[in-house]
Amino acid sequence: MKSIFLILIFIFLPIQSAMSFTEREINIYKNLRCLVCQGQSLNDSNSDFAIDLKKVIKKKIINKQTDQEIYKYLTERYGDWILLDPPLKKTTIVLWIFPLLFIFFGGFFVYKSVRIYSNN
Amino acid sequence: MKNKFKISLLFFITVIFFIIFYYSLKANNKNNPNTMLNKKLPPIELTSLINTNLKQTLPIISEDKFYLINIWSSWCVPCRDEHQILMLLKDKIKIYGINYKDQKSNAVSFLNELGNPFYFIGTDKDGSTAIEMGAYGVPETYIVNSEGLIVFKHVGPLNKKIYLKISEIIK
Amino acid sequence: MISNVGSMLLVLSFVITCYTLFIYVKKNIVQKSSIYLEFFLYYKASFLLLLFSFFILLISFVMSDFSIISVYENSHTDKPLFYKISGTWGNHEGSMLLLILVISLYGILFLLNSKNISDSLRATTIFFQSIIQLIFLSFLIFTSNPFSKIIPIPSQGLGLNPILQDPLLAIHPPFLYLGYVGFSLVFSLLLAALVLKQYNSRWASIAKKWIMLPWSFLSFGIGLGSFWAYYELGWGGYWFWDPVENASLMPWIASTALIHSIVVMEKMKKLFSWTAILTILTFVLSLFGTFLVRSGVLNSVHAFANDPERGVYILFIISIITLGSLAIYILKFPKKIENNNSFALFSRDFSILLNNYFLIFILAVVIVGTTYPILLSVFIGETISIGPQYYNTILAPFIFIFMVLMAIGPLMKWNNNSLVLRKQRIFLFFLLSIFLTILISFYLSKYNFIFFLGVLCSMYLIVSVFYEIAMYKKNFFIKQNFSRLFSHLGFGLLILAITLNHFFSKEISTKINLGESFFKQGIKINFLKSESNKGNNFEELFGSYEITKDNKIYILKPSIRKYKQPQQFTSETSIQSDGLSDVYIAMDYAGDPSTGIGVRFYYNYFIRLIWISFVLITIGGIVSFAGRKNEK
Repeated sequence: MKSIFLILIFIFLPIQSAMSFTEREINIYKNLRCLVCQGQSLNDSNSDFAIDLKKVIKKKIINKQTDQEIYKYLTERYGDWILLDPPLKKTTIVLWIFPLLFIFFGGFFVYKSVRIYSNN
Repeated sequence: MKNKFKISLLFFITVIFFIIFYYSLKANNKNNPNTMLNKKLPPIELTSLINTNLKQTLPIISEDKFYLINIWSSWCVPCRDEHQILMLLKDKIKIYGINYKDQKSNAVSFLNELGNPFYFIGTDKDGSTAIEMGAYGVPETYIVNSEGLIVFKHVGPLNKKIYLKISEIIK
Repeated sequence: MISNVGSMLLVLSFVITCYTLFIYVKKNIVQKSSIYLEFFLYYKASFLLLLFSFFILLISFVMSDFSIISVYENSHTDKPLFYKISGTWGNHEGSMLLLILVISLYGILFLLNSKNISDSLRATTIFFQSIIQLIFLSFLIFTSNPFSKIIPIPSQGLGLNPILQDPLLAIHPPFLYLGYVGFSLVFSLLLAALVLKQYNSRWASIAKKWIMLPWSFLSFGIGLGSFWAYYELGWGGYWFWDPVENASLMPWIASTALIHSIVVMEKMKKLFSWTAILTILTFVLSLFGTFLVRSGVLNSVHAFANDPERGVYILFIISIITLGSLAIYILKFPKKIENNNSFALFSRDFSILLNNYFLIFILAVVIVGTTYPILLSVFIGETISIGPQYYNTILAPFIFIFMVLMAIGPLMKWNNNSLVLRKQRIFLFFLLSIFLTILISFYLSKYNFIFFLGVLCSMYLIVSVFYEIAMYKKNFFIKQNFSRLFSHLGFGLLILAITLNHFFSKEISTKINLGESFFKQGIKINFLKSESNKGNNFEELFGSYEITKDNKIYILKPSIRKYKQPQQFTSETSIQSDGLSDVYIAMDYAGDPSTGIGVRFYYNYFIRLIWISFVLITIGGIVSFAGRKNEK
C-alpha cells in the first residue's frame, strides 16, 4: 500500500508542474465551491465573490504557492465546506463500498430467510 | 432465553445510536459562516479612505478589550439599514470600517448622509482583504478581542436582536 | 389572557390523556372488561382540547398577541392575514403542537372508521396512540410550550422570515405532517395486534388504508416541497438531495415498501415478519426525520430554527419508541403463524419481494448519504457534503432495473412461476420500448448510453401500464388496479421526465448591464428595463428580460425584494412555460450593480411532466383508500 502511495506521489508531482498554468488554475477552480451560489463550482460561477476569489487564487499561483497551500488558506477561512471534492478520500471510500456490501449481504439475507422454488 | 438476548442486543444498539447522535449535536459545525469564529484575525494592512498615506494594521494591540470591524459599501442596500445600529454602537466600542469595492466619493456621501460611526476606515478595492478575513460579502461584522481572537462574527446586516447580543458580549 | 387558556388546555389534554391510559389499564387489564365507551369518550375529549388549544394559538397569531414568545418572534402586524395564520406552524413550538394534533386526529379518524373491527383492537390501538401523544405532549409542555410568555409585552413582533411568506410553503408542513406523522396510527395498530395476538392477514386488510392515507399525503407533500423549491429558491432545480428533503423521502420509501409487503401478507399470508418490521421502520424514520430537521445537526438551505437541546429530547423520544416497539415485536410476534415464506420463482409475490429488496437498498443509500456527514463529524471532526453526484451515480442503475421489475411483476401470477406464461408479453414490451426509445433518441439527437437506458426503462414501464389498460378495460375500474396503474404510470413518467430534464436542460449565469444582452448556447438574453414597486411589507425592483430561443420570444420579469421585518432580500423568479418545459430566470442581489446585475437563466426541459407525475402518483394513492371506508 505504502509503496503504491509513494509511486503515485512521484508520478503526481511532475505532472503538476507539467500542466500548463491555466489548466492548473481551472483545476483548482473546479475543486472549489462557489460559496454564495448553490452547488456551483468556483469555475462555473461568475458571481462577484467567485471572480474576486479567483483573482486571489491566481495571485497565489503566481507567487509559486502549491495547491495544498492554497487549499489550506481557503479552508482555514471558509472551512472544508469550500472544497467540492471531499478532503479525505479514504473515508469516502466507505460511501462507495457500502452499497456493494449491502447488495451482497442484503441479498444473502433475503435468500436465507425465504424458500424459493422454481417449479409450480 | 433467545428473546432476552435479542432485547439486550436491541437495547445496546439503541444506546449506541443515542450516544452517537447526541455527540453529533455537540460536534462543531464546520460549515460556513462561523469558520473564523474563535480563530485569530489574520494580519491585514488597511489604507485609510480619507488619507492614503495613513495605514493601519490589524489586529490591534491596545488596552481596549474589544473592537469591531464592519465591512460595508455605499452601494450595498442592507448596509444602509444596519448603519443606525453602528451609530448606536459607536460609543460603546471602537469601530473599524472596511469600505469594500467602492468609490471614495460615494463612500463619503454615504457617511455624510447617514453619519460616521467609524474610528478608522480602510479600503478594500478588490475584495482581497475581505477574503483574507474569511468574509463572504457585504455587510459583515466581526468583534475581535485584545488578543486578536475573533469572538463574534455576523454575515448580513445587523439588527436589534444582534445589537443586544453584541452589547452582552462587550460588557 | 387567552394564552393562559391555551396553556391550560394543553395541560388539561395531557391530564386527560393520562387518565385515558389509566382507564384502559384499569378497565381492560385489571377488570378485564370489554366495554370501552368511557375510554373512547375521554380520548375524544383530549382531542378536542388539543384542537381548541391549537385554535387559540392560531387566534393569538392572527390578533398579533405579542405577549406570547412564539408570536413575538415569528410574527408582525404588517404580515398579511394568510401568513399570520400560517405563522402558527412556521415555528418550532407551533409546528410541534400541529404535529401532536395530527397524531390525535389520526386516532379520531381511526375511531370513526373502524366500527366493524373488534373493540379490543380499536381500544388497544388508541391506547398506543395515546402513549405516543403523551410523550410528545410532555415534550411540548415542558420544553417547547407555544404559549410561553414574555414580559414586558413588546409592541411589535420580530416578523416572519420573508421566504416563508409563500402560499405553497405555508401549506406544505400540514401536508407533510398528515403524511409521515400519520404513520403513527398503523404503528399503533401493529403493536395492538401483536399484543392481542390478532396479527394476521385480516389485520393486513384493515391496516392497508391506514398506510395509503398518510402515503398519499406524504407523496403530495414531497411534490409540493419540490415544486416550491423550484420556483422559490431560484436555482432552477427541483431536488437537491438536501438532508431535509431526504428526511421526508426516507419514510416515503419505507412506506412504499410496506404497501407492497402488506399486500403480499394479506393475499398470500407471507412476509408477516417483514411487514411488521417495515411498519416500525416507517414510523421510526418519520421521527428520525423530525429529529434531523429540528435539532441543528444538519446544515442545509432549509434549516429550521435549530436548537441542539431540543434535539436531545427528540433523540430520547425516538430511542424509547424504537426500543419499546421492537421489544413488543420480539416478545409478542406470533410463534406459530399461518404463514410460510416460500416463493415461487418468477411469481408475483416473488417480484414484490424483489421490489422490497430494491426499495430497501435505495432507502439504505439515502440513509447513509444523509447521516454519513453527521457520523464523520462525530468521529473525525471533519465534515463533507454528499451531493447529487453520489445519489445519481449509485441509484440510477438500480432505479432502471427497478422499473423493469415494476413492469414485469404485475404480469405474474400469484404463487406461480409465470415466466414462460408471460414471456411473449415481456418480449413485446421490450420491442415496443426499444422502438420508442430509438425514436426519441433520434428525434432529440441524443446518443448517450445512460440517456438511452433511462428512457428505455421508463418507456418499458409506461408501455406495460398502457397495455394493461388497453387489454383489460373492465378490470381497470377495480380500485386496486386503478390505483396501482396510476401510481406506477406516474413513477414511469417521473423517471422519464427526470432523464429528459437532466440531459436537455440549459443553464446560463452571467452579469448583464441594463440595455445590453448576452448570447450563449443558442439563447439570447436581453436586459430591457427595470421598474420598482411597493408591496405590503416590501419594496421591489423588477427587471424586464427578453429571452430569444429557437425563434421564440419570451418576456420575463423577475424581481428582487427588500423586506422590512426582518430585513432580508429575496430573489423572485419569473417562469413561463414552453410546452412541458420552462423558461426561467432569477436575478442576483449581491454584488456591485454598477458592473451589471447577475442573472441565472435556466431552460428546464420537460419539468412540467415531473409535476404531472407527482400528481398521478398521489391520485393513485388516494383512489386506493377512497372507496374502502366501509370495507371489512
